[in-house]
This record gives sequence, structure tokens and C-alpha cells, in this order.
Amino acid sequence: MTNPGVLVIYGLLIVLGTAALSRGHGSFQQGLIRGAEQLIKLLPRMLCALVAAGFLAMLVPTEVISSFLGAEAGFMAIVIGTLAGMIIPAGPAISFSIAAVLANEGASVPALVAFTTSWGVFALHRVIIFEIPLLGISFTRLRMLSVLILPLLAGSLTLAAMSTLSKW
Amino acid sequence: MLLGPERFDGAVSGSLELLGNTLPRVAAAQLVAGFVWAMLPRDRFSQLADAKHGLRGLVIATAAGIITPGGPTSAYSLLAIAAGAGADRGILITYITSWALLAVQRIIVWDLPFMGAEFSAIRFVVCLPLPILAGMLARRLPLSLVLVKTPSQPGAGK
Repeated sequence: MTNPGVLVIYGLLIVLGTAALSRGHGSFQQGLIRGAEQLIKLLPRMLCALVAAGFLAMLVPTEVISSFLGAEAGFMAIVIGTLAGMIIPAGPAISFSIAAVLANEGASVPALVAFTTSWGVFALHRVIIFEIPLLGISFTRLRMLSVLILPLLAGSLTLAAMSTLSKW
Repeated sequence: MLLGPERFDGAVSGSLELLGNTLPRVAAAQLVAGFVWAMLPRDRFSQLADAKHGLRGLVIATAAGIITPGGPTSAYSLLAIAAGAGADRGILITYITSWALLAVQRIIVWDLPFMGAEFSAIRFVVCLPLPILAGMLARRLPLSLVLVKTPSQPGAGK
């Protein structure tokens, strides 16, 4: 499942690295430094999130996770995934670490789509740091109401697409 | 810890294994993001406000969100510029929703290394129409919108 993704990433790394090198103007060094800086910032967060989520997965039995977020849970898993995504007030390193652990513990693809979509549109830290100061609380209110149903839709569409595909 | 040292070790080593598997991909993805950041012309994106009303504007806003590089700092400052230039609320909501859900750079940096290609592709396709839907909803919701005014963007509001 991960192989094509890995190929894309390493392929892009080679292509963009070459492009930056041939472009000059220090693009290559700047890109390298920026990438390394970001990675150093992310490492401790990923480590903590993965270990914490791992403990949580250990405390909450796998059967519980798969019965709430697994394929058998159907639409309920999508609702729970949506709610879980709403309440994570942290950046992508943490939310995707949690998603990866949940995937390991048997969460279904529709539930994970709902979770990552919900986190994507609601991410509270982003609202507090960027949205309210730059655009104002009335923009946040309008946006929240406009995107409220999107995670449920995304999860349901995934569920529908997967069951259609499996019938073929 | 209450469950005993074996379970504790199991959870830690399981997490570290997952980290070890994910880390090389995340490192490569961060370098990709670094190169994109170093090479992309960021000033081009401020033309969003020129997008027309109607569905076409929402489609353009979705496309702009997809290609916007970088994290929330770049997306939100661009959103503020578009708002200050008088882009309508549908375009603003569609743009930032598209960036949050579909931005190619975010998918390469996050979805791909953590969740794999299949998941990333499914999520992208499923989410593709959603920013436009959000924009259409935003245009119909009977809510007043008072945007924060900054000195550099006179005439904010709408």
C-alpha cells in the first residue's frame, strides 16, 4: 500500500533537488536548510504523538477501537472519526501520527478519511493562531458552519465508493 | 504502566517501530517541501480576488487552494490579502477549505508518508468537490461577516 507513495516522495525529492540545483541562486541550500529545520521541529512532536497514541491504543483494547472505528461500525465510525478530528488542537505531525496509529489498530478507511478531513477543516490551533487574528471571529463562524458537514460527507462518500468498488 | 512492564515496552517499541518506518518518508517529504518553498513565486497568488462571482470563481479558488505551497502562515496571509481586496465570501471559504483539504504539498508531506498512496488518492478524490460545496453554503448562510481591518488592506469587508 505504501510503495507507490514512497516512490512518489523520493522521485519528487530527486526531481526538485535537481531543479533547485540547476536553478542556482542558493535555492538548493535554502531548500535543504528549510527542510532540515522543519524536520527537526517535527521529530519530537511525532515521537510524543506516536508513543502517546501507542499507549492509548494499548489501554483501549484493539477490539474497542475496531468496533468503534472499524469497518463493522459503518456510519457510526465516520461520526466518531469526525468528532475525534474536531477536538485535536494540534498540527499535522500530531494528527497524522494519531491517524497512523488508528490505522494500525484497525480503523476503517472511511473513518480515517472522516478523521483527517475533520481535522483539516476544524484544526483549532490554526483558528486561534491565524484565522481569528487575521480575519475575525465572524469569518470563523461563517466558515465553521459552511464546513460542518464536509467530514461526514467525505467519510460517507468513501464508504459508498468502497462498497461500490467491492461489488465489482 | 499500570498494565505491567511488558505492555509498556510493547507500546513503546510498537510506536518506535512505526516512527522508524515513517521517518525516512517524512524526512524526504520535508525536503521536498523545502525545495518547493525555496523555488515558488509566492506573489502570484494574490490575484485570487479578481476571480469572478458564480461557480467559476469557486472553481478557481479551489485550484488556487490546491497549488498553494506551505503551511497556514502562507495560506492565511494570502486569504487575508484576498479578503482585503474584496473577494466574496464564497471564494474566501472555498479557497481556505481547498487549501486545508486538497493542497498538493500538504498531501505529499503528510498524507502520503503517514497514510500511503491509496488512502491519499481516495481522500483527494472524495474531497475534491467539497470546497465548492462549502463556498456555495457560505454564500447562502444568513450570517453577517465583518472582517478584521488591517492598515494594508483598506476596504475589507463584504
